[in-house]
Amino acid sequence: MAAKTIKVDYLARVEGEGALHVKLRGDRVEDVKLRIFEPPRLFEAFLRGRRIEEAPDITARICGICPVAYQMSAVHAIERALGVTVDPAVRLLRRLIYCGEWIESHALHVYMLHAPDFLGYEDAIEMARDHKETVEQGLRLKKIGNDLMAVLGGREIHPISACLGGFYRVPSKSELLALVEDLKWALEASVATARFVAGFEFPDFEQDYEFVALSHPDEYPLNEGRLVSNKGLDIDVSEYEEHFFEQHAKHSNALQSQLRKRGSYLVGPLARYNLNFSKLTPIAQQTACECKAEPPCLNPFKSIVVRAIELVFACEEALRIIDEYEPPAAPRVDVPVRAGAGQAITEAPRGILYHRYEFDGEGTIRSAKIVPPTSQNQRRIEDDLWQFVPRIAARPVEEITWRCEQAVRNYDPCISCATHFLRMEIVRE
Amino acid sequence: MGKPLIIGCGNPDRGDDAAGLLVVKRLRSMGIAAEEHSGEGLALMEAWSGAGSVILIDAVVTGAAPGAISVWDARTAPVSRGAFRASTHSFGAAEAVELARALDRLPASLTIYGIEGKNFERGARPAPEVLAAVEEVAQRIAEQVQSITKEVEG
Repeated sequence: MAAKTIKVDYLARVEGEGALHVKLRGDRVEDVKLRIFEPPRLFEAFLRGRRIEEAPDITARICGICPVAYQMSAVHAIERALGVTVDPAVRLLRRLIYCGEWIESHALHVYMLHAPDFLGYEDAIEMARDHKETVEQGLRLKKIGNDLMAVLGGREIHPISACLGGFYRVPSKSELLALVEDLKWALEASVATARFVAGFEFPDFEQDYEFVALSHPDEYPLNEGRLVSNKGLDIDVSEYEEHFFEQHAKHSNALQSQLRKRGSYLVGPLARYNLNFSKLTPIAQQTACECKAEPPCLNPFKSIVVRAIELVFACEEALRIIDEYEPPAAPRVDVPVRAGAGQAITEAPRGILYHRYEFDGEGTIRSAKIVPPTSQNQRRIEDDLWQFVPRIAARPVEEITWRCEQAVRNYDPCISCATHFLRMEIVRE
Repeated sequence: MGKPLIIGCGNPDRGDDAAGLLVVKRLRSMGIAAEEHSGEGLALMEAWSGAGSVILIDAVVTGAAPGAISVWDARTAPVSRGAFRASTHSFGAAEAVELARALDRLPASLTIYGIEGKNFERGARPAPEVLAAVEEVAQRIAEQVQSITKEVEG
């Protein structure tokens, strides 16, 4: 039987450089490789010998899309090691800057990167010619996320204000109140976004995923919580490495994470949503019901709807925090330096981001470990393709290629982060 | 038309990709205001929003010899998306121009200077031919700015 190769040499609309190789014999998939060839980033090695205070700023440089996630996992890990408790207002501000990053990142992915797949456009530029207002809406949403990050972080890309113990500078109440009108618009626009994307056509494809996300007793997870799954995992974040391991696949510069004895798992919006729906803010829950997207949502293509619902959540939560906020007595608390080791997991827009640091009595980092969400989803993306491609194998190569790229983008992969990835190749023999 | 907003794009640590940033540095040394930019497309659209006249400088790959200078009037013709080095999410200067065109967000005047690059390796130095082109583009832009300043003042 003839074999065919589906090859995407350079996956577009993902962050970083990677490729996809799929080999088919008839309807049978013989090989799937998500190749990440973005060069190794070596950040864990850069951190050795640096001071703990530098970790949030060094690791923020790993990603221009989710620098806040890196800063937050870094500060929380080191603070946990040193037993530091931050001011409740600082805790709120950390949640708020994270909301800014979620708004910016989710708006970018929903509108600019993923929606063109569903609407049949090559890219957002082609889509903008027919859907001008929609694209404008997405751009404005993204900008509001950026503005929120800039007010809290000093600038929107690689913010510079977060530090151990708090922030170098905290905003005044009036600085935050100035964002309220835009955020109210963003909340309405996010609800409209969810309704819009819920109307897309989704391939009929569901999988028995192990969803992994943080879970917090009182709130939709961002900065803290226990690590849980729908298949019985319930651990403190410090136990992460006992349950998860990383493996090097020859075809990829990114390490692939797996759950011991269970294999691939899914992190990100779908996992958070299925595990924490009851903690979503009221308008976000209401929007989900209106969009008929109540959990469990097992179709990865519907992640675009979930991302839009999380946009609603992030805007609502940001408004709640701004309403409640009173500046802390001091922008940061003292951080006593002593030898220690600490781990933290926070919810980057793409899923859980694990950091571990060990440092000496002078505060010099001796070792660091960083496991970004795309490394954790990489094996799951390949597993999805193993299951999904046979269903579309009889279709023309161009359509298979299109659908495969769309399936990869379900995960909003951030290849730059994962290399410590997308070109596509389908082989049909 | 008033003084143009001058934006140079690039990555300072990736060989010839630094060209746009080096033009900014040279213009500043001549007392001409210019902005450095990573070249990320959406941020670029933000950077020029509200500006009437914009000059954009970026490294390009068109197949010409390194250091060759191309000039495009973005208002009159689509920009070749293959020529510009795309930044994050494959969304760089060319995509910014074409998205802005689709959204009627192009400045009234947008001139793009492309400086042909060849080596974009991490940590590489820009080629001598590229540096010569940087100087030439800076001089051309300086002359353009000076003649506009004279018009405005005259």
